[in-house]
Amino acid sequence: MLNLLFFGRLGDLASGIDKAIPYHIDLATPLAIRNKLAEQHPLLTKELSEPQVLVSVNKMIVKWDHPLFDGDEVAFLPPVTGG
Amino acid sequence: MPLNDDDFMRYSRHLLMGDIGEAGQEKLTQAKVLIVGLGGLGCPVALYLAAAGVGHIDLCDPDRVDKTNLQRQVLYRTEDCGELKVACAKDRLQALNSGITVNALAREVDVEILAGPPLTESYSAVIDCTDNVAARQLINTACYQQKTPLISAAAVGWEGQIVAFDFRHYRRLCFSCIIDYKSTEPMMNCANSGVVGPVLGVMGSLQSTAVMRMLLGFFEQHGELQRYDGKRGQWLTMQCAVDPRCPICGPTDS
Ligand SMILES: [Zn+2]
Repeated sequence: MLNLLFFGRLGDLASGIDKAIPYHIDLATPLAIRNKLAEQHPLLTKELSEPQVLVSVNKMIVKWDHPLFDGDEVAFLPPVTGG
Repeated sequence: MPLNDDDFMRYSRHLLMGDIGEAGQEKLTQAKVLIVGLGGLGCPVALYLAAAGVGHIDLCDPDRVDKTNLQRQVLYRTEDCGELKVACAKDRLQALNSGITVNALAREVDVEILAGPPLTESYSAVIDCTDNVAARQLINTACYQQKTPLISAAAVGWEGQIVAFDFRHYRRLCFSCIIDYKSTEPMMNCANSGVVGPVLGVMGSLQSTAVMRMLLGFFEQHGELQRYDGKRGQWLTMQCAVDPRCPICGPTDS
């Protein structure tokens, strides 16, 4: 399984999404997960495609093409740049 | 510069602490810091560092106080509207603590400011309280090159972020490793989407704490990124990774 976390305001858009999804070789990068979400959740996918969205895997910030393994926790973090 | 009688009273709650004490207070007194941005983050940071006795604080912001700032920028009063933020902030900080030096730099941050006060060595720490990614990248580049500790925070809506870099001791991993140097501004910012005042207080207080730890010499979270979601009361702590192709800390450094 992969455990998905949509942090902060992304959580508002991801309320109807299954947060535990079966691990599959076709969903083995954060980018692949984002592309998969695009089919049913265009609004969330639009937010995930904003510049400066961060992805973390098992509490480590990674790139979108980072390889995923069964059991990974994948967190998506919306951009925060104000002050 | 040894502490005087007034200092012993003023900083007594630091002096009582074994890991601050007189030696630690003197480190704070001797420190020179730059706060870039005197908005929602910069206000609490400036207040706490001035109160703590950080001896030299430079304030950099070109903006004037606007009525829409007052909901969260806790240094300013209604009658300050139209005045320079750094001038108002300097007055308030010196009223709080006349034993420290505060300078008002009413212009956009640039490499000259980041190089440090004239005729002195570079800053002990730079605190990034800006509201845009271009300034954050400029500050990161200068801090990396000068080996100046950088404490960077941001907020929007109910959310906050903090990440700090101790470039004195670590030469890999910087802000540009996390946020691509060429990345553009996201759609959502405080001006078009709003921000909750106390969330800025939380992040600014964390920044001040990190600055004190940097100055006292026990900061060990280089490149650790923390996120706060004030709407749900959640925290997430993550480690950032070195980008081997980072244009700032990557190719030329060993
Ligand atoms: Zn870097």
